[in-house]
Amino acid sequence: MAQENPAELAQIIIRSRLSNPSFIYSFFSQFPDSNYRRLHYVLLGNSHLCNGTSFPVMGTHVLELVLEELLKEHPDMISVIKLNGLLHSDNNCALKEISRQLCLEHQLLFSKMASFDDNSQFLLSMLRECGLAHKTIVFVLEEFDLFTQGKQRLLYSLLDAMQSVSSQAVVVGVSCRLDADQLLEKRVRSRFSHRKLLFLPPSGKDLHSLVEHILLLPTDSRLPNDFTTAFNAKLLTWLEFLDISQNILADEKFKGIIDTLCYSDSTVGHLLRFLFSAVCHMDLKSGFISVENFKSAVPSIQRQPKMEALKGVCILSKDLDCSILELYILVCMKRLEVKELELCNFNSIMKEYKSIHDTFQTSDYYARNAFEHLLERALISFEDTRGHGQSAEFRPVKLLISWHEIHQGLKSNRGYFSSSPIRTSPCPQNHVPRALKDVNSEM
Amino acid sequence: MKKSTMSSHRTPKGKQAISSPDHLIVPQTPQISTPTNTTPRRSLRLTSATPQSTPLPPRRKNSPHSALKTLKSYENAAPHSPATISITPASPQPTESRRKRKLEEKQGAVIEKKRVRRSDKCRNVNYQVKRKAYYRKVVFDGVEFSAGDDVYVKRREDASSDDEDPEVEECRVCFKPAGRRIMIECDDCLNGFHLKCVTPPLREVPEGDWICNYCEAKKSGKIMEFPEPPKGMKRARTAREKLLSSDLWAVRIESLWKEVDGTYWCRARWYIIPEETAVGRQSHNLRRELYRTNDFADIEMTTIIRHCYVMTPKEFSVASNEGDDVFLCEYEYDIKWHSFKRLADIDNNDDGEGDDSDDDDWNSCDESDSVSEEEIEYDDETKISSLSQASIAHPVAANSRKGRIFGLQKIGAKKIPEHIRCHKQTDLEKAKATLLLATLPKSLPCRDKEMHEITEFIKGAICDEQCLGRCLYIHGVPGTGKTMSVLAVMRNLKSEVDAGSIRPYCFVEINGLKLASPENIYSVIYEGLSGHRVGWKKALHFLNERFSDENKRGKDMRPCILLIDELDLLVTRNQSVLYNILDWPTKPNSKLIVIGIANTMDLPEKLLPRISSRMGIQRLCFGPYNYQQLQEIITSRLKGIDAFEKPAIEFASRKVAAVSGDARRALEICRRAAELADYRAKRSPISIADATGRTFNNIFISCFILFRESDFLIVKVIVGMADIDAAIKEMFQAPHIQVIRSCSRLSKIFLAAMVHELYKTGMGETTFEKLATTVSCFCSSNGEIFPGYDTLLKVGCKLGECRILLCEASTRHKLQKLQLNYPSDDVTFALKESKDLPWLVKYL
Repeated sequence: MAQENPAELAQIIIRSRLSNPSFIYSFFSQFPDSNYRRLHYVLLGNSHLCNGTSFPVMGTHVLELVLEELLKEHPDMISVIKLNGLLHSDNNCALKEISRQLCLEHQLLFSKMASFDDNSQFLLSMLRECGLAHKTIVFVLEEFDLFTQGKQRLLYSLLDAMQSVSSQAVVVGVSCRLDADQLLEKRVRSRFSHRKLLFLPPSGKDLHSLVEHILLLPTDSRLPNDFTTAFNAKLLTWLEFLDISQNILADEKFKGIIDTLCYSDSTVGHLLRFLFSAVCHMDLKSGFISVENFKSAVPSIQRQPKMEALKGVCILSKDLDCSILELYILVCMKRLEVKELELCNFNSIMKEYKSIHDTFQTSDYYARNAFEHLLERALISFEDTRGHGQSAEFRPVKLLISWHEIHQGLKSNRGYFSSSPIRTSPCPQNHVPRALKDVNSEM
Repeated sequence: MKKSTMSSHRTPKGKQAISSPDHLIVPQTPQISTPTNTTPRRSLRLTSATPQSTPLPPRRKNSPHSALKTLKSYENAAPHSPATISITPASPQPTESRRKRKLEEKQGAVIEKKRVRRSDKCRNVNYQVKRKAYYRKVVFDGVEFSAGDDVYVKRREDASSDDEDPEVEECRVCFKPAGRRIMIECDDCLNGFHLKCVTPPLREVPEGDWICNYCEAKKSGKIMEFPEPPKGMKRARTAREKLLSSDLWAVRIESLWKEVDGTYWCRARWYIIPEETAVGRQSHNLRRELYRTNDFADIEMTTIIRHCYVMTPKEFSVASNEGDDVFLCEYEYDIKWHSFKRLADIDNNDDGEGDDSDDDDWNSCDESDSVSEEEIEYDDETKISSLSQASIAHPVAANSRKGRIFGLQKIGAKKIPEHIRCHKQTDLEKAKATLLLATLPKSLPCRDKEMHEITEFIKGAICDEQCLGRCLYIHGVPGTGKTMSVLAVMRNLKSEVDAGSIRPYCFVEINGLKLASPENIYSVIYEGLSGHRVGWKKALHFLNERFSDENKRGKDMRPCILLIDELDLLVTRNQSVLYNILDWPTKPNSKLIVIGIANTMDLPEKLLPRISSRMGIQRLCFGPYNYQQLQEIITSRLKGIDAFEKPAIEFASRKVAAVSGDARRALEICRRAAELADYRAKRSPISIADATGRTFNNIFISCFILFRESDFLIVKVIVGMADIDAAIKEMFQAPHIQVIRSCSRLSKIFLAAMVHELYKTGMGETTFEKLATTVSCFCSSNGEIFPGYDTLLKVGCKLGECRILLCEASTRHKLQKLQLNYPSDDVTFALKESKDLPWLVKYL
């Protein structure tokens, strides 16, 4: 163990941090005005005073963190009942699950034979008893929007119980939908205390300090001290972009990387995924993370599946005829689309193909293979899911990628084709761009 | 006789010198010959109280070992007692109806038998169980004892000090009784002092808590002995002192009866002092605090010394019969699990109700029927008790046994959390508590007319000799007090029934949304009427018999009132449930009154004509509250609590009245506002004080009262307009604008393109392909990078996830249809001042 590479250890530490939500989100708990504090306050207030509230929250991890802390503070005063809308949207099953978890929590015997009435009665009396014993029950309903299907019996009885009995309970709904509270029926909505906590993606500055929080190695770990300081110092030179340090160029680079990342998606989860892949690229020999690691992580986090599928077609086309065929099929479909023919199926595509390219004969067998290959890659799809009885040739198909994408895909792989797309050559590959050009001019 | 002013935490003990000596009730208790077998209760209890890991049977009324134990200690005394003591056996007033007695006799019999079984050395009494007479009140030694009273009970029969029982407390310094002079009680050691005996002497009783010099000295570490009593005179200890030093016991009398041999016995429920619990005295325990246990025992009346008064905290703080024998009891202690539970308020009500119904003269006429009912119930109980004995082998599931719930006694706090007891509620917290929806207001303002109408309707239906069935349909938007008004009317009527001015009736309350299925309503009604649970088909059959069959009915002649909340939930496809329920009242002599509550005004019109005709034309509409009414509701709840500004309340109620007139919503807003204010106050008092200068300079928040209390600067925050405004914003404002503002740049461009597309085409719906072209056009002309179709699609899906957009599944890719879920104006508004993308404005 002593011979372990400190760089490896550092990598392990950072990776385990990245995959531990409670570490990440504890970062947000330090701000006094954060949702974390607010949620903590509300839950704590409810457990001290005997009352019930209900509100939807959008952010599971913070909730978990708050509950964890509360459980630590008051070990036997809070019991948490967790339901998930994906599993328990059925009222019956949800109530059963509630009583099961209640029984588990209080070491009571649970019977799965109990009916809906029994369970709801059990729930009511448990609420009452727990209220009398100064115990708070926190119901966490994840995927809250899914609980609003049907008659909303569960929500109604939970919220009603909260109001009529002197119970001490909190209902917390977690949902990513902004309009979750609009889905409630009006009598349920009236019983619902309209509290909302909104979890917004952090601002750019917060993101930077979060990166710092994650990447800087702790000084009290098993790592040798000099390594830690060196590692941290190296990181800080380009992390502290606000200071005027010597390494401004690197700063700018790193800032640019983070900015491109946030350009499309500024959530914490996205950033974490990015950091994870960056850390995996870390050079274990030198033992330090460099800006290059981050740079190389960017494409891996911003995948373009359709484009890659198209590229894949092109790469394959180097050795396989049928892949050229695939491209031909795509282009033909595009041409058909431009011509605005109503029906586009395999047969009409083949007809079009022959009209562009009557010199080069391919048998239908290969064409069908190529066609199926495209279907598998979801570059094209059947127009309707019905009609399985019809043979594949006659079922209408649709192109799923846009013309720009085809164009771009072909352009980025121009190297595989001959240098100039206009030049006619016996090489069949040249026909694809030419055919495309036809389409282009027609447009 | 002035007493120190009572703060809510101060013990309401007045040094009332009861000068009349004839009040001294020292029961000349018999010289009990065998004091040897008295065992300290505590040790016995502890041995029997080791918690076991297996779920224990629920404690029914008879706990065998405790019965046995007390029997041991008092049994031998029993034969002697009648000889020596002057019991007044003539006085017991057998006020109860026969029915109850019968039942209790049976229970008693069970107890008795058990006793015989357990202690077979028992007296060779011939058990003529029938002769055992139960009483509600017994006059014993000239003092009336009744069930529900709290009394002192002897603990050690040999203790000589027990003989003297001074009712009058002496001054701890000069050892003279209070006499005319005022005495003051120390809040720590509970000793009494004359005002003049304290150093320095006091003129009058000080406000708030007062602690004597001795206790103060003890606190500061010094030792200061109480003065020794003068020679020859022993300091008499009062019963209270003895109880608190566990030389006496206190019990609550549950029932009283006369044994066959003429001795009087009672069933007692022990009280326990904090020191005797498993956790011992906790720091927040008050001096006069007791715990009620769930341990029962049968004791003989001769061991009772006299009355004491154990009260709930609320009664305690307003206690009028001040004296030394007042105690406070807030929690129940489970001696098996060593856990605490708050005493439920409902408990007392139940007792009261049970007694009341026994007083009814009406019951006597249908005794034959009800006795059979009781017998069934009794059978049930024995079944349960046998079951609970068996349950050690077969543990019972907690959540199902035909509606009975087991094992709940396990729940309880091992220790009473300190902050609950010690925490003094601020005005804001009090306001929060009263604004809770769960706290029922004492009176219902603003619904007098409707309540009057309901009362008239029910009275008209009941008091009618024929008692024709009737229907009333109540409708109104949620939160307008429909159910609450009906329940309040029913409470009023109940008190009238108790007073005897109208005939009794039975009342069944059902909520349509809490039924598993609409058909279940039959079994719920039947259970409400008869107490039995049967399947719904059978229940329907029975109910049909009861309400429509002329011959089979007739046993229970009481009219029946059926309250069905959320009536619209009972509408099935063929509407048979509603038809059945509404058909019964039309039958002659059904004596059924149905009150239906729902939100929709036109529910009867939506039903089949044959049902709506049966529903009748009696409707009652609960209109939404207007702002004055809402204001009145809130102010009536906040009466006596200085936490809200008046204009703030008006603002909240006006706002709600304009939107929905939902009282729940108005209360919720006020509560949230109080919470916000509280949060502000608690976070850091100093920063608030700073902030008063800066942020709250405006006219809204006006009152800040600063005062010092134990070196902490406490800011009294009053809920003002700003808080209400914040609460309303939080409640009514949809969060989408905030979300749009904080989302990533690409999403903003995406949304702007959506709006642009919308204005260009005039169509709400667009496809991804069109949108992508627009976005790429935006990007290329403004120097942004176009990230590619796939990234864009991902962004669109993210927006769709939180429902800013409505979109199809992303597998459709370029054909995916997209639509804005919020008005385009909102999106424009949100995007207009975005700093990172200033060029967006020109496209909006």
